[in-house]
Amino acid sequence: MAKYIAKRLVYMVFVFFIMSILMFGIYKMVPGDPARLLLEGSKAGMKPEVYEMQYQQARERLGLDKPIPVQYAVWITNMLKGDFGYSSNYRKDVIDVVAQPLSNTMQLNLVAIVVVFAITIPLGIICAVKKRSTFDNVVQVFSVVGYSLPTFIIALVLICLLAVKAPIFPVSGVNSVGFTGSALAKAFDKLWHMALPVLVMVLGSIGSITRYVRAAMIESLSMDYIRTARAKGVRERAVIYSHAFRNALLPIVTIVTGWIMSVFSGSVIIENIFLWPGIGKILFDGLMQQDFMVVLAMQMFYVIIALLGNLIMDIAYCMVDPRVKLD
Amino acid sequence: MALLELKDLHTFFQTKRGTVKAVNGVSYSVDAGKTLGVVGESGSGKSVSAMSILRLLDSNGYVADGEIIFDGKNIQDCTKKEMYKIRGNEISVIFQEPMTSLNPVFTIERQLSEPFIIHQGMNKKQAKAKVIEMLSSVKIPNPESVAKQYPHQLSGGMRQRVMIAIALACQPKLLIADEPTTALDVTIQAQILKLMNDLKKEKGTSILFITHDLGVINQMADDVAVMYCGQVVEMAPAKKIFTKQKYSHPYTEGLMESIPRLDTPAGVRLEAIPGAVPHPLDLPKGCKFAPRCKYATDKCREEEPTLVKIEENHQIRCFYPEKEMRKDGK
Repeated sequence: MAKYIAKRLVYMVFVFFIMSILMFGIYKMVPGDPARLLLEGSKAGMKPEVYEMQYQQARERLGLDKPIPVQYAVWITNMLKGDFGYSSNYRKDVIDVVAQPLSNTMQLNLVAIVVVFAITIPLGIICAVKKRSTFDNVVQVFSVVGYSLPTFIIALVLICLLAVKAPIFPVSGVNSVGFTGSALAKAFDKLWHMALPVLVMVLGSIGSITRYVRAAMIESLSMDYIRTARAKGVRERAVIYSHAFRNALLPIVTIVTGWIMSVFSGSVIIENIFLWPGIGKILFDGLMQQDFMVVLAMQMFYVIIALLGNLIMDIAYCMVDPRVKLD
Repeated sequence: MALLELKDLHTFFQTKRGTVKAVNGVSYSVDAGKTLGVVGESGSGKSVSAMSILRLLDSNGYVADGEIIFDGKNIQDCTKKEMYKIRGNEISVIFQEPMTSLNPVFTIERQLSEPFIIHQGMNKKQAKAKVIEMLSSVKIPNPESVAKQYPHQLSGGMRQRVMIAIALACQPKLLIADEPTTALDVTIQAQILKLMNDLKKEKGTSILFITHDLGVINQMADDVAVMYCGQVVEMAPAKKIFTKQKYSHPYTEGLMESIPRLDTPAGVRLEAIPGAVPHPLDLPKGCKFAPRCKYATDKCREEEPTLVKIEENHQIRCFYPEKEMRKDGK
């Protein structure tokens, strides 16, 4: 096991470097010049010579005057040293640009994921046990509606109902304007602001996960060993939650790890609607403004998350199902 | 006195295409310390009658009529709680498929200790000692290491031994063996059957042995019930069925003739019963076996025979139970 993990980590380093070359190459191929973009605002009032001089200076500052392999070498060395580059758009270090939005996104996503799984797993199990009952049918219909409706529709409807018609939750933002109080009170204020975006995310994803859990449970409840457990005199609760659920875990683990990986990715739509300053908007703006350092740093971050996520998924499989062997 | 008695049991399944009468008026009984063999082709209702006893039918199945008396109790009247106490404790089952009947994600120890923990209130440590004891009693080598293994690490024969150990854990009064050797090869089958016979003699357990294999029945059963299309067509002591005698049901006769024997001369074709078991939603009028019976007459195709007592301990559901008479009639 330890040997396997060590092997996987070495392999991950290789994949990381190959991905970094690919990513860097792709962004270098994108037409456009960040140095010109940097000077775009002040161009009008400048003499051509001054502009040309400043442009050359900007190219040097951003390291664009060197050949591409050298640029890559400088970039990757700095990355490994913890220097993620300089944002040409925000005119500060990439780390300062992304840190706060990434943290905002993660907080929102974590709360949403906890709520989603706290609802969907029990709901999926109940639907599987009461397969084709009225309860199951109602849940099935709602789950189809849930994942067929686009998030922005759900968001607007919820804002209309729960923030405008019945002003229970704030329309947008992270904290109340000019909020003062203890750290705990501030955390609760934040949770209160999260309510609507979380609700939107939950409603949008509840259907599909409930269906996954339901299908996995129906499959495992139909197995011969469930009959064996019942014939042993095992109580029905234990048959469902111990014998059947343990076997349904494998597909569920796949979904859960997939979701946990998505904690780090922001949603442009939700962030824009609820004015939640998350990473989704930063990435979107980065692409629009050709702020490649920000985008590249984030992309490499997601590469690492994906690689680690897959390793964790494989280890989780191994722990859930004794038939799975890692080697 | 009979330990288990089925009286005119009707078990039906509600399906989209109609009501499937899987068990349609079956009566049989198992005496204490004896083995009743239930024989029949697939779909004859033998497993369903056994699952009715434990009330472990699929959700669309139900007992429509009849009684199941076990140890003086009517199973239909038992509460859920009483059923939990009966299952695995007073009545236990060995299923047909050892490859899929054990839970793949739990160790043998975990699965075998469950009956002790549930029914005898043992803690895990006490149960562990019993697990080792049970594994050795079903002749599993290295019980300590097997207990820690998962089902996929064991062979089919070993898994079936584990199933038998689970079934016998609480020394049940009745053991239902639902085709326990069908999925095993012949040498393993012989070992498993011997094991069951030994345990039966040792512990005095009654066995309801379900199979389609008459050879196995000959080895195991004291009494035999032959089932066809949800009904018992012949019931007799095993000795009577397996010796040449005056009376028999044409279906039993067909089953006997379709067994390959060592003393059959070379070149003689093995008899087979023509056709297949009719679909349960489309049963023939009259005698259910008539379409496949070589002796069938117009009467057989119109009227349905009842189970008639031909002689002491021998019942047959046929208008022409006497073998010689049938042959002359043709």
